[in-house]
Amino acid sequence: MAEIDTSGGGGGKHGGKVRAKKLSTRVDLTPLVDLAFLLISFFMLTTTLNKPKAMDLNMPKHMDDDKQDVKESRVINILLGKDDIVWYYETEQGMMKDMKQTTFAPDGIRAVILRKQKRVEKEHGDKEKTIVLIKTAEGAKYNDMVDILDEMDITQTKIYAIQDIVPIEQETIDNGGKVVAQ
Amino acid sequence: MPKVKIPRKSTSVDMTAMCDVSFLLLTFFILTSKFRPTEPVAIDVPNSRSQITVTDAIKISVDKDGKAYINYPSAAFREQVLVQMNKVYGTKYPYLANLSPKQLSNFKQVETFGCDARALPDLLNKKAEDVSKVTTGIPMDSLDNQLGDWVQAGRYADHAMHPDAKAKDVIRIAIKGDKQSDVKAIKQVIKTLTDKDIHTFNLITTLAGSSQSAQNQQ
Repeated sequence: MAEIDTSGGGGGKHGGKVRAKKLSTRVDLTPLVDLAFLLISFFMLTTTLNKPKAMDLNMPKHMDDDKQDVKESRVINILLGKDDIVWYYETEQGMMKDMKQTTFAPDGIRAVILRKQKRVEKEHGDKEKTIVLIKTAEGAKYNDMVDILDEMDITQTKIYAIQDIVPIEQETIDNGGKVVAQ
Repeated sequence: MPKVKIPRKSTSVDMTAMCDVSFLLLTFFILTSKFRPTEPVAIDVPNSRSQITVTDAIKISVDKDGKAYINYPSAAFREQVLVQMNKVYGTKYPYLANLSPKQLSNFKQVETFGCDARALPDLLNKKAEDVSKVTTGIPMDSLDNQLGDWVQAGRYADHAMHPDAKAKDVIRIAIKGDKQSDVKAIKQVIKTLTDKDIHTFNLITTLAGSSQSAQNQQ
């Protein structure tokens, strides 16, 4: 009967102490690493990089009595209308020509500005003499304004200004581009 | 002659080092990431190809209904703004003068706010999150241009905090407009700034994404 006891593991009755089996202190860290990388990838995928870009905008100081005379052939007027439509016109001897309509597509307003620059270069010797006057008509969106400022950067137009619209320009737009009697 | 036996090595690798690295990365990302400031309204900024980054700036947000909100860079800054507001415009905003400590600490927590200054003391009695939820907009019409005063107080605050900052380090003003907002509202903000003799500022945009360039291709 006693033999059964001796065969039983743990509790050795051979006079010695009860000795626990020495367990290794090493823990398998693989799951922990898995978890950590899971968290890292989660955070990296869910965070959006919050680095807003910005464009510089310089507005002129008020200089009402310091108006400069510029040749009208250097100037192109761009008007932003509703539904992302861009109107543009030039003047001839102080008279407004009919407005034309275009869009923000690459062959739209950008081509118009580039053509204007070429003409200015021919007539005045330097394409940087081009002056773009930007005006916003009724219903224009802020997006259009940023787009046109972007175009100024793309076409490397150095001289441009954001101005208030004149009533006759608004009327002309409402009239579909045909100049109302001046 | 028996072959040379290569002793079998255990395939388990010690993961401790890897674990260290991964947790280090994890803590790094968690600690360096900043929470996006709570904004009263979501603003969808337009795309541009501009590459300039703005770090610290007084941000004026304009939502798609043309209402204005203001955001200062830090809690300490906001505290200073309030001090300047009382110092410079004390007579115009007497109700901002005697705020309780609770209202003050709430104001420091509000990242972006857009409400009439008259409503501010009452709002500050509530929780800071509630103030950020108010979307009445800061008045900026010519009769009662509070936005201009807040911006100006911000500039004074910046000057008080960094008295000998060089011209290029002076705090910038940034306008964060929604794509859909009417240009009139943006122009009103610009006019407010030029009236306060601020002629250089930034328009916050995002980098033109693939969707935008795809649209342009068509």
